[in-house]
Formats: sequence, C-alpha cells, structure tokens
Amino acid sequence: MPGAAREEGIAMSEEIKVDLELDLKGLLCPLPMVKVSQNIGNVPVGGVIRAVATDPGSMADIPAWAKSTGNEVLSAEKQGNEFVFLVKRVK
Amino acid sequence: MDAHTIETIAGVIDKKMTRQLKQYLDVCARCAICKDACHQYVGTGDFKYLPARRAELIRHVYKKYFDSAGRFVPALYEARDPDDNLLDELYESCYACTGCRRCMYYCPFSIDTQWIVAVGKAILIAAGRGQEMLGQLADAAIFKGENVEMFRDVLVSGFKDIEAEVREITGDPEATIPVDKHGADILYVALAGAHSIRPAAVIFHEAKVDWTISLFEAANYGYFFGDAEKAKLIAKRFMEEAKRLGVKEVVVPECGHAYRVADIFYEAWTQEELPFKVSHILEVVDRFIKEGRITVEKGRIQGRVTYHDPCQIARNGGIFEQPRDVVKALTDDFVDLVPNRAEQWCCGGGGGIVAIEEMRDVRLKSGSKKVEQLRASGASVLACPCENCRLQIEDLNQLHGLGLQVRQVIDLVVEAMPLPGNTAPRA
Ligand code: SF4
Ligand code: SF4
Repeated sequence: MPGAAREEGIAMSEEIKVDLELDLKGLLCPLPMVKVSQNIGNVPVGGVIRAVATDPGSMADIPAWAKSTGNEVLSAEKQGNEFVFLVKRVK
Repeated sequence: MDAHTIETIAGVIDKKMTRQLKQYLDVCARCAICKDACHQYVGTGDFKYLPARRAELIRHVYKKYFDSAGRFVPALYEARDPDDNLLDELYESCYACTGCRRCMYYCPFSIDTQWIVAVGKAILIAAGRGQEMLGQLADAAIFKGENVEMFRDVLVSGFKDIEAEVREITGDPEATIPVDKHGADILYVALAGAHSIRPAAVIFHEAKVDWTISLFEAANYGYFFGDAEKAKLIAKRFMEEAKRLGVKEVVVPECGHAYRVADIFYEAWTQEELPFKVSHILEVVDRFIKEGRITVEKGRIQGRVTYHDPCQIARNGGIFEQPRDVVKALTDDFVDLVPNRAEQWCCGGGGGIVAIEEMRDVRLKSGSKKVEQLRASGASVLACPCENCRLQIEDLNQLHGLGLQVRQVIDLVVEAMPLPGNTAPRA
C-alpha cells in the first residue's frame, strides 16, 4: 500500500493487543477521524484502537489526525473495500 | 483565573471588538424578538440559547475591561470577570450556536449574533477552552496542508478507486479524475469523502469539462473552531493550489460553510484579490443543465421532493434559486418547505455542532422546527446540499421516523442522468 501509512514503517502484526474495536463502516469523512478521536480516551496510554472504515478519505484523515495530536498510526491497510487502522494512544 | 490569562482575554476583546460590534452590544433593545427566530431557543426553551443572551455574556466581559462605568461600578453595569463560570456559559452558548444568522434576519437592528459569538470563541481559545474536537479537525487539516507529499499517494490511490466507479457509471473506460492538471478550467475542491467526489466527477465528465481535483478538502474546521488564522491556513491550501495550476474557477462541494469561507471570507481575511472565481457546485450544475451540457430526465427520481436551504449557502451566501432550478429539472413533484429561502429554519446541524458529541442532545432538540417543516411538506425525498445539514437531518429522520431519503443534490442529478451504469444509489 502506497503513501502516508506505509511510511509509518510498521506493518500490521497479529501480536498487537487491541483494546477497542471501532466499526466505522459507512461513515463519511471526517466522521471516521472524529470517532477515533472521541474514543482514544477510552483506551489507556499505550493502548490500541482497531478501526475499520470504508471511506477512502480516512486513509489521509486518520494519519493526519494522529500526527497532529501526537498519537500513532501503527498500520493503515486497505483490505478489499475496507480501510483498517491500528491506532495507538501515545499520551 | 491567573492574571496572564485575563490579560490575554482582554487583548483578544480589544483586538476583535470593532466599532460595529460595539454598536451591536450597545443598541440591543432586549426586545427578545430573536428568541422566536433561533431554532435552538425554540427547540430547547433554554435561556442560554437565546441569541441576545449569548451576546450578553460578551457584553459582561467587555464592560469589565473596556467601559469606564463597568470598570468602576461593575455590579451596576453587569460587568463580570471571565471566571470559570462565565467561560462555561460562554462555551455552551458559543459552540452550540450554528451561525445560521436567522436571529439577525429578524432582529430590528440586524444585530449579527454570529459575529459576536465569534468573539466569544476567540475568548475561549485565548483561555485554553476552545472546543477540542473542532481544534483537532482544524489541526489535522493544517497538517495535511503542510505535508501534502506525505499524503499524495494515498489520496491519488483513493481517486483511482473512485475513478473506476466513475467509469462504470458513465460506461466510458477513459473517464478520469485528473490530479494536478495545469491550465484546467475548474479546480474542484471536494470534501474528504468519496461521496463528494464520485457524482461531481460523473457530472464533469458528462459535461466535458476540463477539470482537475484538489488534493485538499473544502471543509474548514478552523472556521468552526473560531480561529481565523487556522481557517485562513486551511483555505489557503487550495487557493494556492488553484493559483499554481492557473485555473479559471474554483468549485466548492455541497458544503455550506466551505462555500461561505471560500467565496466570502477568504478575500476579506487575506486582503487579496483572487485571480479566479469561486462557485458552489450547484451553481455550476445549474449552468450545465441550462446550457444543455448534461442531460437529466424527469421520472427517474420517485416521490415528492423538497429542498432545504443550508443557512451558509442561502441566507448567508445568497444562493437561493440555482439549487431549486436544478431540483426542479429532475422532478415535476417539487414542493418548497415553508418558510424558505432567507427565512428557512436552520436544521440545527451547522457551526461544527455535529462533531461535538456533548452537544448531541441540544442539537437534536433544536431540530424541532425542521421536523415540523419536513412533515408538513409531505415530501419523501429531501435534496440538501450541505454535509452538516444532511448529518443532522438524517439523525432527525431516524429519531422522528420521518421516512425521508436525505440526499445530496448531485447524487439526485446523477441518478436522473441516462447513463449506462446508473443503478442503485451508492454510499
Ligand atoms: S432581536 Fe435584536 S435587539 Fe431584540 S433582543 Fe434580539 S438581538 Fe437584541
Ligand atoms: S446565529 Fe442561529 S443559532 Fe446562533 S443565536 Fe442566531 S439564530 Fe441562534
């Protein structure tokens, strides 16, 4: 997968423990980013959200939100028609 | 509150409080006519959402620091320090305000409460109390603007996926979504979602327009947040892109505030005359239909259709007729909401409130007038050219069981076009 998310350099790993699953399918941008932001406080620092969106705009939105808020996108992958994110709460 | 914060707040008031604004604060007759104009007050009956009350809070702080009578006899002149209680009240009244300016329309002195609320937001930001979600959305947009190369590949790859759908709908394997096309006539600045790009791309393709898509989205959360500098930076991303590409027209999508920021505020903020015109997509689609550049057929849209005037496009943007003409070209069964155009009720979803979870309750209550209007229309389809309005009205639709289809106007246009791949509506 090209671009921003791949530049994070961390591929999705089965060993990563997911603290919260978010189903963001069908939500239009920027709502997937809004939902991730609203839920990041629901995982502990160091905790991980796995979010699944269908709007391609989320592939830029969620990494940009993470960068500007100091959180970390561990991986962002296109799987068929879905975009799957692992987002780590850093602070 | 510490002395430094108070000093910062006083500085903000001093800077923002123009002659016109001071006059607004002075002339308000407390007649409360505005209470019946504000959907939020009408829907909640809560005093804090009364337009004149929102201004009153700013007046309290202003009097405290910039009015000699208020400075020396604060109790008499209701002058108040911007303490935490006042900031709490200010937060709720300012970030809930949808900026619809319906109160201004009915106020005998045309007091622009939205403008006064903008000062309130600036005070909150100076006190570190700006609305967090809106601030984050604004910062993410600015980050994207400053690091466009980091996002180029994912954006272009997203455009390619949408392009494949456009080819399917138009039946043209050569249909494209051009990126970075120098000298194109139109730069289309969409919203971040595919839904805002796909139908526009179909229409541009069918109208044989020389166009290109922006790498940036038109939505401007800096404006909702209340930070003019952030708002300017967000809009600047695509204004500079348009200049670099040498386009003749920047077209903004079905989004109310994006239109107002791009067409009305940007030049005022930057004091710069733009070398291209700015249009709303429905002005352009109306042109295409009237010039015969795209074909739409009546009968493809089933059911009675009505139209909601988003406040930022209609009352505050002056676009009333072109969207109606577009919708009327698609159906013989069109009915207007009552009231409409400049008097249209705000749906309750503007000003960024749809992104503020803690205000969900007031948002939904404040849609009561819109629900009444929609019910009375007997329509089964609502054409609505603003994303925030659609999100709000879809929530109202679910909550009140209105049984409406809430649709983007350009989706209805594409549905009415005789195209080979025109099937069911897409998400
Ligand atoms: S209608 Fe105008 S003058 Fe009357 S209370 Fe409202 S803001 Fe003040
Ligand atoms: S601008 Fe709209 S929401 Fe804000 S106070 Fe006026 S009528 Fe109410």
